[in-house]
Amino acid sequence: MSNVFGISVSALRAFQAAINVVSNNVANASTPGYDRESVTLTEAAPQSNGTASVGAGVAITGISRAYSHAAANQLNTSQSTLGQLTALQNYTTQIDNLFGTTAGGLSSSLQGFYSAWSNVANNPTSTASRQALLGQAQSVATSFQNASAQLNALNTDGNGRISADVAQINSIATQVSALNKQIVVSTGQNGGQQPNELLDQRDQLLSNLSQLVNVTTTTDSNGALNVFIGNGQPLVLQGQTTALTTVPNQFNASQLEISTSALSGNVISGSITSGDLGGLLSARAEVINPALNQLGQVATALSQTVNSQQAQGLDLKGQFGAAIFSTPGARAVSSSRNVDATTASVSVADVGTLTADDYVLSYNAGAYSLTRSSDGSSVALSGSGTVASPLTADGLSIVLSGTPAAGDQFLIQPTATAASSLKAVLTDPTKIAAAGAVQSSASNANTGHASISAGSVLDASNPNLLTTATIQFTSATTYSVNGGANVGYTDGGNIAVNGWEVQISGAPANGDVFTVKSNVGGTGDNRNALAAANQQTAGVLGGGTTSITGAVSAIITGLGSQAQQINTAQTAQTAINNQAVANVQSVSGVNLDEEAASLLQWQQAYQAAAQALTIGNSLFTTLINSVNGTYS
Amino acid sequence: MRVTQALNQFQFLAQIHTLEANLSQTQNQISSNQAFTTASQNPTAAGSVNNYNQALAQSQQYVTNSNSAQTRLSTEDSTLSHIQLQLQSLRDLALQANTSTLSAQDRSAIATQAAQIQASIVGLANTQDGNGEYLFGGFSSQAQPFTQSVSGATYNGDQGQRQVQIAAGQTVADGDNGDTVFNQVPTGNGTFAAAPAATNTGTGVLGATTVSAAAGNYDGGTYSISFTAPGTYEVRDSANALVTSGSYTPGDSISFRGVQVTLNGQPASGDSFSVAPSTNQSLFATVQNLVTALRVGGSTSQATAQLNNAVSASLNNIDQALDNLSTVRASVGARLNTITTQQSVAGTQQIQLQTSISSLQSLDYASALTTLTQQNTTLSAALQAYTITQGLSLFKFL
Repeated sequence: MSNVFGISVSALRAFQAAINVVSNNVANASTPGYDRESVTLTEAAPQSNGTASVGAGVAITGISRAYSHAAANQLNTSQSTLGQLTALQNYTTQIDNLFGTTAGGLSSSLQGFYSAWSNVANNPTSTASRQALLGQAQSVATSFQNASAQLNALNTDGNGRISADVAQINSIATQVSALNKQIVVSTGQNGGQQPNELLDQRDQLLSNLSQLVNVTTTTDSNGALNVFIGNGQPLVLQGQTTALTTVPNQFNASQLEISTSALSGNVISGSITSGDLGGLLSARAEVINPALNQLGQVATALSQTVNSQQAQGLDLKGQFGAAIFSTPGARAVSSSRNVDATTASVSVADVGTLTADDYVLSYNAGAYSLTRSSDGSSVALSGSGTVASPLTADGLSIVLSGTPAAGDQFLIQPTATAASSLKAVLTDPTKIAAAGAVQSSASNANTGHASISAGSVLDASNPNLLTTATIQFTSATTYSVNGGANVGYTDGGNIAVNGWEVQISGAPANGDVFTVKSNVGGTGDNRNALAAANQQTAGVLGGGTTSITGAVSAIITGLGSQAQQINTAQTAQTAINNQAVANVQSVSGVNLDEEAASLLQWQQAYQAAAQALTIGNSLFTTLINSVNGTYS
Repeated sequence: MRVTQALNQFQFLAQIHTLEANLSQTQNQISSNQAFTTASQNPTAAGSVNNYNQALAQSQQYVTNSNSAQTRLSTEDSTLSHIQLQLQSLRDLALQANTSTLSAQDRSAIATQAAQIQASIVGLANTQDGNGEYLFGGFSSQAQPFTQSVSGATYNGDQGQRQVQIAAGQTVADGDNGDTVFNQVPTGNGTFAAAPAATNTGTGVLGATTVSAAAGNYDGGTYSISFTAPGTYEVRDSANALVTSGSYTPGDSISFRGVQVTLNGQPASGDSFSVAPSTNQSLFATVQNLVTALRVGGSTSQATAQLNNAVSASLNNIDQALDNLSTVRASVGARLNTITTQQSVAGTQQIQLQTSISSLQSLDYASALTTLTQQNTTLSAALQAYTITQGLSLFKFL
C-alpha cells in the first residue's frame, strides 16, 4: 500500500521539477546564449514481491541542454566572416559617402585648375587670370589634402577600434578561463553532471569572441575549453590566458599591429583574417591605404607635370617659372628592427611608370631585393644603390647610404604621403610661366619663301637655351647655325640647337636668315600656358595611357566597385549567418508554444499523480474503516 | 525545423532593416533626382559621368577660349579695315599729286595730308585690345610696337603669334604680328621692282611692270636697263653681261627673262633703270617715301619725272600693302569662320554629353515611383504579417 504513496510522491517531485525546467525555459526564452533545457526522467528501480516486480516510480536523472556543437561552430565561423565584412563595409561606406561621385570635389577642382590655365593662355598678361590660376591651384591642393585627411581619419578611427577590440578579446579570454575553472570544479562535484548555465555562458562568450576575431577551439576531457586565434596562437589554455597587445607597425608607428606580447617580433596581424578585428586590419590594408596611395600617385603626377612645364617657360619677369606645387616626394622608412643605421632615400624618376603600390626593400645575402607589399610579388631591381648607380624599379630611384646588415628592411612608399602634403607654394601671380622660353623670327630681308615655327623647348636645363642663335641659309638647300658647318635643309625638318627645336618650312633662298632667341619680354606669349592646359587630357600615368583627370575617375570607379563588392558580400554573408542563427535556434531555441504544451502535459501528469495519491489515501481509509468495523 | 519566437523576432528585424534601407535609398533617389548618389551604387556609371563632366567642362572652356579669340580677331579685323581705308585715301592723294598741273604748294599740302594719314596709320598699328595688350606687337604685347621715325616707323615687337585652343587638338591664332601685317610687304609687283637711277637726267618714267613668261622665266637676278642713246637700250645682268638690247620709243615695253617693264617719256643717254627682286619694305617706309617725294618739289621736267617715278613706285608699294592687308584680313576671316564652326560643334557636343550624363545619372521617375510603391507595400505587408503571427500563442488559450 505504501507503494502508492512512494510512487506518487516521486512523480509529483519529478513533474514539479519538469514544470520548473519549463518555467525556466520560458523565463529565458529571450536570454542570449540560453540553450533550451529538458529533464531526463528514468524509472526508479522496481521492487519485487516475489512473483512480480512492480515499478517504484520515477527518478530525475538529469537536466540536459539542447546544444549542437556543429550548429554552434557553424554560427561562430559565419559570425567571424560577417564581422569582418561588416567592419570592412563600415569603412567602404564611409569612403563611398565621403568621395561621392566627384572624389570629394577633387575632379571639379582639377577641372577648374586646367580651365584656369586656359584662361591664362587666353590672356597671358592679365594679373586677374593669373591670380585665378593660383586660387585654383590652392583649391586643388586643398581637395587632395581633404580627401587624404578624411582617409587618415579613418585610419585613426581604425586604430581606436583595434585597441578596443583587443581589450574586449582579452576581457573575454579572462572570463572564459575563469569559467573553465568553475566548469571543471562543478563537473567534478556533480558527478559528471554538466553545469548547463556555465556552459551556456561560456558558449555565449565564445560567440561574442568569434564576432571579433576568428577562433578555433578544443575541449579537454575535464570540460575545459582551449581557444586559439590566428594561426593557432593560444588565447586561452584551460585556466590560463595569453593577453594580446597592440604594438606600432615596424615601419609606421602610427599604425597599430596585433601582437601576442609587447615584443614587436610576435606580430600576428597577418594571420587575423576575419572577425571585426580582421575587418579593421583589411580595411586599412586593402581600402584606406591603397586609396591614399592612389590619390598620392595622382598628386605626384600633377605636381611633377605642372612644375616641369613651369620650368620650361618664362614668367612675366622673364625668369623661368617657379614650382606651383610641392610634394614631400617618395618616402623610405627603415624598419624599427634594423640593427644598423643604413638609410635609404627614394625619389620618383619617372611618373609614367610610377605605381600606387608600397614596396619592401630587403637586404639579404649581400644583395637587395624588392617586393610589392600588396601581393608579395618580387620586382626586378637594377643598379647597385649608390648615388652614381641608384637602384631603379617601377619609376623609382633608390639610393642607400651606410653598410647594411643582413635582414635589414625598408618600406618604400612612393606616393603614400603625396596627397596629404600636396601644397600650392606659388603666391606671386607674375611667376606663372605662360610664355615659351624662346622665340623665332625670319629676317624681313629674306627673299625666299620659308617660314619658321615658333620654337619649343626640349631641355630647359641647357645653359645656352636663351642664347641668340642664327640660322643662315648658305644656299637654297643648306644652312649653317651660328656660322658653323653646312647642314642639308629638309622642308619641315627639326632643327635642334641649345635645348630648343624649330622647324623651317617652305622654299628658303640663299642668304635668308632666321633667328632664335630668348623670349624675355614676350609677355603676350602663351605657348607654355597652352601646353599646361593641354596636360589635362595628356596621358601621364600608367606608361602614358592615363590622364590625371582620368586617374581620378578611375579612383572613383575603383572605390565604388570595392564598396559595391563589399556590400554584396556582406548581404550574402548576412543571409548565411541568418541561416546559421536559424539552425542554432532550431536546436537550442525556446519555442513558447512547445513550452506551453509541455506545461500542460506536466500539469496534467502532476494532477494525475496527485489523484493517484488521493486514491491511495482513499484505499487506505477504506481499509482502516473496514478493519475498525470488524473490531468494534 | 523548429521555429522559435526569438528566431521569428530576429528574422523579422533583419528583414525590416533591409526593407527600410531599400526604401530609404529609393526615397533618396527621388528627392535628389539622381539614379545614384554614391559611386558604389553604380561604379562604372559614376566613373563615366565623371569623365563626361570633365569633357563637358573642357568643351565649355573651349567655347570660352574661342570667345576670347573671337573678340581679339574682330578687333584686329576692324582695325585693319580702318587702315585699309586710310591707305586707300593715301592712294587717292598720290594719284592726285601725280598730275603735272599741281603747284608745288598744292603738293606740299598733299604731303602734309599724307603725313597726317601716316601718323594715323601708326596710331592704328598701335591699337590695344580691351586688356591693354597691343594687337600687333607679337609676343611683346605690352610694349608699343611702332614708334614713328624719320624713315617711317621702327618695329619694337617680335614675330610671335599667339595660339588659342578652340577644340581638342585645334588651335587658332588670335592675332598677327606687326612684321607680318606692316613690315613684310614686298616692293614692286611682288616679284621684282624696277627703279630709276638717281642720276637720270631724262624724263623716262617707269610704268607698269609685269612678270611675263614671254621671254623666259624671271630668275631672281638683278639687271640694269641702260640707255646708250635716247632711243637705244641694252640690258645687262649683275655680271655686266649683255642680256638683250633694242630700240625704244616712248610707251614701249622692254621684255627680257620674264621681266616686262613699260617706260614712258624719253630717257637721256646714260640714264639707267634697275630691275631687282622684290624686297620687303615696311608700309610706313612706303608712306614716308611718298611724303618725302612730294616735298621735294621742283618744276623742271627732270624733277617731274623723278616725282612721277617716286609716286608710281609708292603706288605700287601701297597696292602691295593693300594686298597684304587683304590677305591678312582674309586669314582673320577664315579664323573667325573656324571659330564659329567650332562653337557650333561644341554646342552639339555639349548637348550630347549632357544627354549621356543625364541618361546615366538622371532618375527614371516612373520606375523609381513604382519601386517606391512596391517597397512600401512590401514593408506594410511585412509589418502586418508580424503582428498577426505574434498574436499566435498557445498561452492565450491556457
